Amino acid sequence: MKETEGGKTTIIAVCGKGGVGKTSISAITSAMLAEDPANRVLAIDADPAVGLALALGFRARRTVDDIRNDLIAKVKEGVRGDMGQMAKALDYEVLAALEEKNNLAFLAIGRPEQEGCYCQVNDFLKDVIETISASFDYVVIDGEAGIEQVNRRVMERVSHLLLVSDQSAKGLAVASSILDVAGRAVGFDRCGLVINRVRAGEDRGIGAPPGLHLLGSLPEDDNVRTFDMEGKCFLDLPECPVRAGMRRCLSAFGLYPAAKKRNTEGVRA
Amino acid sequence: MDGMRSSTHGFAEFTAVNRPWPAGEKSNIVLQCDTAVELGNPRDESASFLVWTGNPGLVRDGMITRIGPDVAGRDGARLPLGKAVILDVEGFTEENCYDRHREIELARYDVNLKGYMMRAVSQYMREWSRISRQAIAEGFSLDLLAASLMERYRRLDYVRGVEILIVTSSPDDVRSLQHVGERAVRLISAMNKMAQEMSFDCGTCDFTDVCSEVSELRTMRDSLRGKENALYERN
Repeated sequence: MKETEGGKTTIIAVCGKGGVGKTSISAITSAMLAEDPANRVLAIDADPAVGLALALGFRARRTVDDIRNDLIAKVKEGVRGDMGQMAKALDYEVLAALEEKNNLAFLAIGRPEQEGCYCQVNDFLKDVIETISASFDYVVIDGEAGIEQVNRRVMERVSHLLLVSDQSAKGLAVASSILDVAGRAVGFDRCGLVINRVRAGEDRGIGAPPGLHLLGSLPEDDNVRTFDMEGKCFLDLPECPVRAGMRRCLSAFGLYPAAKKRNTEGVRA
Repeated sequence: MDGMRSSTHGFAEFTAVNRPWPAGEKSNIVLQCDTAVELGNPRDESASFLVWTGNPGLVRDGMITRIGPDVAGRDGARLPLGKAVILDVEGFTEENCYDRHREIELARYDVNLKGYMMRAVSQYMREWSRISRQAIAEGFSLDLLAASLMERYRRLDYVRGVEILIVTSSPDDVRSLQHVGERAVRLISAMNKMAQEMSFDCGTCDFTDVCSEVSELRTMRDSLRGKENALYERN
């Protein structure tokens, strides 16, 4: 299902140490993939801070965890239901939580507030997210630091694991450890590293830690900084060094220019 | 309901005619940017329910009643949705009616038509549909949808007849239908509670009014209570 060719869904998980610019890169990637109106792109915010919503100009009115917590609260109150009906109701609720803007859709996972094990609810929700994702050409997941959170709350398997780091030894070490965990916990087809916020004059000799494939680097860019600081929508980001750099990185990852996959409107042929 | 017959948005009664329509993919999601007509959006009025009877005289088998516009030529429309499915069934007993109810409730999800997306929450009587521009261009209609639903229900060997009412005329008309359905949903909730919780303390139950009125529910309750007592004595 997760191959890039042949009209199937390409799922890109963006992971890395906190503060390295994952959300901006997720937003720019989503925007670039959605440039072709024939493509259907789903951006999933799996970071509890829900920063991707703002970066893409969406308002996350309801998150998947809101849905989960409401259901658990009802069960605790004694409201019982048939399992089949419960799965259908979750499907309805998650689709209703999907925000849409032309060919780009957005879904926020949110923050789980209820403690305890609700494996069946979580499994239902993951099934619903996977089912919804299958209707899109590209899914971009802005994850927390670790890929295991993506696996636990969003998707069992991704096609592209996009690791983001700055030039710091800590950022690169986190990227390496994410890859280690991913090798054991999550299925993925390809993995690549983007080094972000490289300052002028410090771009020589940039390399990836052993085992990581370097896709490219992105410069420190005032355009991105301003958009970030002012909470502007990255769909409006003008052509700038980061966009050009991201284009090169996505191209090295086999994702740009985004392949036209959909040959019918609304439904796949 | 009779008030709706005079709806300025149109009233039509006709016999279902099945015509072939290609199947969609498994999840069959129609995105907003591809949608021509949306019915019963979560932010709009929606009322959908199913009732069954063993009295064939109450069901006009094969009849579709549509109050309000069909979807053809309504690109960009967002309409409220009311839908009532009335089944003529046979062989329902207190032993099988819960399982059969589950089966008929889930049957609508098997109707998989290309360019048509449906999501529903039975508990709240909500049903939400989207129909793609391509489907509309190729002739999709509510009549086709109703006929496909009828065909699906008929595949259940205990269903003798199906009648369907669809309301798209106005939020007020859908609310009127909702009032009719609330009674049916409450009755079904009482049945579900009995079957799922095996709790028969009528002093604390919220559904005693429904059970007092519907003899079949009382019979079901007595039968389940008898089973529970027998199980208790055996152990």
